[in-house]
Amino acid sequence: MPKAVKGVLVECDPSIKAIILKIDQAKHDYIVEDLDDQTLVVKESQLQRLKARLEEELSNTQQMPDDSASD
Amino acid sequence: MNAVDGSDHYNKTSDEPPPSLLTIILDTNAHAWALLAPTLPLSAAIANLLVFINAHLAFNNSNKVAIIASHTQRAEFLYPIPSEDDSRQANGSTHNGAQNGLDGDMNMTDGNEANYAATADDANHYRPFRHIQTTLLSAMSKLYKTTSPESLTPTTSIAGALTLALTYINKQSIAFSTTTSSKTNADPLLAPSDPNSIQPATLNPRILILSVSGDLAHQYIPIMNTIFACQRLTIPIDICKIAGDSVFLQQASDATHGTYIALTHPRGLLQYLMLGFLPDQSSRKYLVPPTAVGVDFRAACFCHRKVVDVGFVCSICLSIFCSPPEGAVCLTCGTYLQLGEYGGKPAVVAKRKKKRKKGADE
Amino acid sequence: MSASSLRSFEYLEGLPGTTFNRLYKQPSTALAIFRRMLPHLAKSFVMALLYISHPMPVTDLEAWVRPDGRRERDNAVNLLERLHILAAATNPGKPRAYALTNPFAASLRLALTGGGNHHSFGVPYSTSEEDTMSITDLDEFARRQWEGVLGYMVGSTGMNIASEGVTLSQGVKILLASGRLVEARGKTVDITKDGFAFILQEVNAQVWTMLILYLQNAESLNMDEVDVLAFLFMLGSLELGLPYSKANLTQTQANMLEDLGDFGIVYQASPDSSYFYPTRLATTLTSDAGGLRSSSFASPADNNRGFIVIETNYRVYAYTSSNLQIAILQLFARLITRYPNMVAGKVTRESIRRAVSMGITSDQIISYLTTHAHPQMAKNQPVLPPTVVDQIRLWQLEGDRMKATVGFLFKDFNSQAEFQAPCRYAEEIGVLVWKHEGQRKFFVTRHEQVAAYLRNKSGKGG
Repeated sequence: MPKAVKGVLVECDPSIKAIILKIDQAKHDYIVEDLDDQTLVVKESQLQRLKARLEEELSNTQQMPDDSASD
Repeated sequence: MNAVDGSDHYNKTSDEPPPSLLTIILDTNAHAWALLAPTLPLSAAIANLLVFINAHLAFNNSNKVAIIASHTQRAEFLYPIPSEDDSRQANGSTHNGAQNGLDGDMNMTDGNEANYAATADDANHYRPFRHIQTTLLSAMSKLYKTTSPESLTPTTSIAGALTLALTYINKQSIAFSTTTSSKTNADPLLAPSDPNSIQPATLNPRILILSVSGDLAHQYIPIMNTIFACQRLTIPIDICKIAGDSVFLQQASDATHGTYIALTHPRGLLQYLMLGFLPDQSSRKYLVPPTAVGVDFRAACFCHRKVVDVGFVCSICLSIFCSPPEGAVCLTCGTYLQLGEYGGKPAVVAKRKKKRKKGADE
Repeated sequence: MSASSLRSFEYLEGLPGTTFNRLYKQPSTALAIFRRMLPHLAKSFVMALLYISHPMPVTDLEAWVRPDGRRERDNAVNLLERLHILAAATNPGKPRAYALTNPFAASLRLALTGGGNHHSFGVPYSTSEEDTMSITDLDEFARRQWEGVLGYMVGSTGMNIASEGVTLSQGVKILLASGRLVEARGKTVDITKDGFAFILQEVNAQVWTMLILYLQNAESLNMDEVDVLAFLFMLGSLELGLPYSKANLTQTQANMLEDLGDFGIVYQASPDSSYFYPTRLATTLTSDAGGLRSSSFASPADNNRGFIVIETNYRVYAYTSSNLQIAILQLFARLITRYPNMVAGKVTRESIRRAVSMGITSDQIISYLTTHAHPQMAKNQPVLPPTVVDQIRLWQLEGDRMKATVGFLFKDFNSQAEFQAPCRYAEEIGVLVWKHEGQRKFFVTRHEQVAAYLRNKSGKGG
C-alpha cells in the first residue's frame, strides 16, 4: 500500500549532502529519508535548525575571499 | 539563515499577460440593421456589445478599448471621442484616416471632463464602465442624427474604419511603450512578422469587426492593404459576421490568425462574443479557436470590382482582371501584356491532341 | 501574478464558504476578485460561463482547451473551485457540468451592466466647499504617510530618521509588530527578515501586505471580515481626486477610515467630516503591476522620482537627501560619503551577502535599483549595467547550497505500474518535484489531489 510522508525535499550537491549526513549522525533527528546522492527528505520542523548548523559548518570550513578593499 | 537556502530565491516571477487593446469596428449600416431588426435590433446589439466591452475591461485594469463606426460613407470614432476642437478637422479627413496617425493631431482623451462630471452620481455602476456607456450611446445618436437620407447606401466603409483602427493602435502602442520605459522593442513597426512570436510586455492589440453588410468588392484594394498591414504588425482581426457574407473579411481573419464566426443565431450575440471573441492572445494560446470551415480565397478584379474565381493577372504588377483589359494594357502599371493564345483551348487539353491546337491557332 | 496578490490569495482561500457567499454579494467585490485574483485563463472561463443559461458539460470545457494547455486548465478550474466561483454539478441522467455559483455570477453581471441598489461603487459626495483636495495634494499626503510607516520600520537600522512630522498611531505600530515585520525590543524596534523584504517591494505589494495584516487583525478588534474586505475592494473601484460620502458605510467601515488614513490610503479632513478622498494607494489596489507602471505612484518631490546611478564599477550614487531612501540603500550597499544632496557608495560582495542573509533577494535589489534609476540611467537599454546585475545574482547564488521544497513523499508502491500512474498524474497537475523509478518514490508539493487519485484507483481496483 503506498504511503505519503510529510517533509522537506532538499536538493543539494553531494558535498553539501555529506555535511548534512554528518550533522545528522549525532542524533539522527533531521533526515526522514535518504533518496540519492543529491536529494534527501528532512523533517519540516528541523529545517531552520539544519540550515543554521550547515551555515556554521560552512563558515568553519570555508575561507571567504576578502573584498573589503580598494576604495 | 537564508544564505544557504536557494529555494526562497526561485519564487515565481511575474508572468502577467500584457494589457490588451481591443479595437471594435461596428458596422453601422442602417439598411442592414433594418433588415436585422426582427431578430437583433441595433439597440440590443449595442447593449450586448457594451457588456462585452465591460467584460474586456474587467479582465485587466490597463486593458483599453476603442470603438469605430464603419458608417455608410465614412468611418468615425465612437469611443474615445476626439475632443471638440479637433473633431471638425477629423471628420473631414476620416475617409483616409491615415493622416491622423503619428503626429497625434487628434487629441483623444479617455476622460472627457465634461462627460465625467455629468455622469458622476451613480453608485451602482463602476465608473469607467458607465463612462464608456454614456460616451458610446451619445456618439451613436449623434452619428445617426448627422446622417442624411441620401447618404444611406447599402455599403459600409470598412476600409476607412480599418485604417482608423490601425492608426489608433499605432498611437497607443507607442504611448504604451514609452510609459513602460525599460522594455525593448519600442517601435511597433519593428515587430517580427512571425505571427506566433509573442513579444514581451507590449500592448496586445486586436481588432474585432462586427459586420452586417455583405458585398465589399469595391473596397478590395484598401481592405487587402490594411489586412497585410495587420499581418505584418501581428494584429489579429476577428470577424463577427452577424449578417451578410463577404469574402474578404474571411481572408482578413485567416491571414491575421484571427477568429471568424458567422452567427447562426444572431439573437445570441452576447454569448458568441463572450465565448469566441473575449479571450485575448494570451489566453488563445491555450484555447481551441472556433474554426471557420473553409476560407473563400477569391479576389476581386481591379477593373470592375467583381469577385472572380479565375481571372487574368498582370505579370508585372500582379493586378487582377476579370477579362483582358482593353488594348491588352495593364490598367495599373501600363505594361503591354502579351495575351498569347487567349481564347484557345486550355494548354492541358491541347497537349494531348496536338492537331487541334494547331487548328485553334489559325 | 505578483507577489502581493499571491499573498492575499492564500489568505482568501482560507476563508470559509459562507464568508465567500457574503463577500460575493457586493458587485465591486466580485469585480475586484475577478480582476485581481484570477489567472488569465480562469477569467476566460468565467466570462464564457457568465451568460450561459445552462451548465457547461465538463467535456465541453475540456474540448475548448488545447491538449497542451491541460495543466493551465486544471489550475484555473481548481482555483475557481477553491474560491467558490465555479462548481461542478452532477444531475442524474446528465453529464457532469460546470456552472458559476450564484452570488458571484449575479454580482459580476450587475457589475458589468450596472443597476441594482447596492452602492458598492461608492457614493460620490458633492462638495461645494473650496477646500477640495487636488490630486497632487492627495499624492503628497499619501506619500508622507506611507514613508512615515516605512521610516518607522527602517528607523531601527541605526540611521536617525527624522519622521517628517508624521506621528504613527499606536494601531499601526501594533499591526507592524503582529505581522512580524518589526520586533519590539524594549523601547526600540528591530526590523525583521520579512520586514526587509517588505521594504524593497513595490508600493502596491506593500499596501496589500499591510491590508492583509490588517484583515487578520480585524477579528481580534471585533470587526467583521466581510465588511472590511468589501470596503477594501470598494476603495479599489473609486476614482482618484473625487470625494465620497460616508453616509452609506457601516460602522466598521467608518472606523476603518481612520486606520486607513494612518497609512495614507484615504484622506479625510477630520475624523468627523462627512466625506473622504481615496488616494492613489487606494485606487490602484485592484490594478495589477501593469496598471501601476503606467500610473506610477510618483510625486513631484525629488525622492520618488528616480535618483540612483550605478556604474559598471559597482559604485552607486544616489541623489537624495531623504533619510528613508538612504537607509533603504544601506540595506544592500556600502555607503562611503554623504553630501547635502547625494550619497555615494559601492555595492560589494559583502554588502549583498549581508542583504541576502537578511532575507532580501537579488531580484528585489535589482528591481529596486531599476525602478529608482536616475532619468539619465533610465535612458539606457537595459537600465542597469548587465555586469552589475549578473554579479549581484552570482553573489546571491554562490551561497545557495541547497534548495528546500516543503511537500510530501510518496513511497512503498507494490509494483512499477502502481507507481507510474499516480506519478504521471502528479506531473500532469504540476505538483511533482522529484521522482525515482527504481526506488518507486516521488515527491509532490500538494498531496490532496494525488491522494484522491490513489483512493479512486484503489476503490476501483477493489
